[in-house]
Amino acid sequence: MAERPEDLNLPNAVITRIIKEALPDGVNVSKEARSAISRAASVFVLYATSCANNFAMKGKRKTLNAGDVLSAMEEMEFQRFVPLLKDSLEAYKKGQKGKKEASEQKRKEKDKKTDSEENDKSREEENEEEEERMEEEETKEGEGEEEED
Amino acid sequence: MMCCQRMAAVVAAPAAPAESELDRSGTEEDPREAVSEEEGCPQQQAGAPSSASHSRLAKLPLSRIKTLMKADPDVTLASQDSVFIIAKATELFVETIAKDALVYAQQGKRKTLQRKDLDNAIDAIDEFAFLEGTLD
Repeated sequence: MAERPEDLNLPNAVITRIIKEALPDGVNVSKEARSAISRAASVFVLYATSCANNFAMKGKRKTLNAGDVLSAMEEMEFQRFVPLLKDSLEAYKKGQKGKKEASEQKRKEKDKKTDSEENDKSREEENEEEEERMEEEETKEGEGEEEED
Repeated sequence: MMCCQRMAAVVAAPAAPAESELDRSGTEEDPREAVSEEEGCPQQQAGAPSSASHSRLAKLPLSRIKTLMKADPDVTLASQDSVFIIAKATELFVETIAKDALVYAQQGKRKTLQRKDLDNAIDAIDEFAFLEGTLD
């Protein structure tokens, strides 16, 4: 994946919005300051990622998880972020769970139709379908957890 | 309010008279003073129901955050949750550094945040040490 310089920056509009919402009305931000903050934010992501990754490696895991990031925040002396982040994470996970359940629901309904037809043949086909089902389950699990490229 | 206490610790700015000029609503309470602490309660802004929307969604695009994370050759995989948390943390970071820089602008009696305010904040505040030399 080619990494153009633009990709390593965060969208200006969003950064600007975050800054404006953090500051009182009537305060302006110069273009240079805004751009510097944007770059600082990118550096922050890189630094946080690197820190978090250390924790993952310590735990002999190859996948960075939320806990690693929280540990990284403490390491970086941003522990005051942690309670807010935990709350956000809870809300996020609930949202994700809702989405996952919704798509599972769809799958179930779809399966139901085919199931009722195959009720009698179920044993016979178990062997044949086993592979197929396993594949499906893997994708199902993979969906909610990790993102791989 | 926790936000105010936290900011007080970070900013460590004297309770200068300059701050009172920003006193808006007249309440003596915290969050509307000076460095406008509105993290959890941006009531001055157009409506966003504060903490609810603040916690739930990330403003920064997760795909872009993920691209950044992958720039690190040591990173193999990252869970969706971790990408989200980093996005949120980055938002908090941007808010924090903007507010901290503002203090310097105010000391200079300016209402416009400038690059040098940022540099001052980075020099002065330990947590921003990792930024030294990276913004040029």
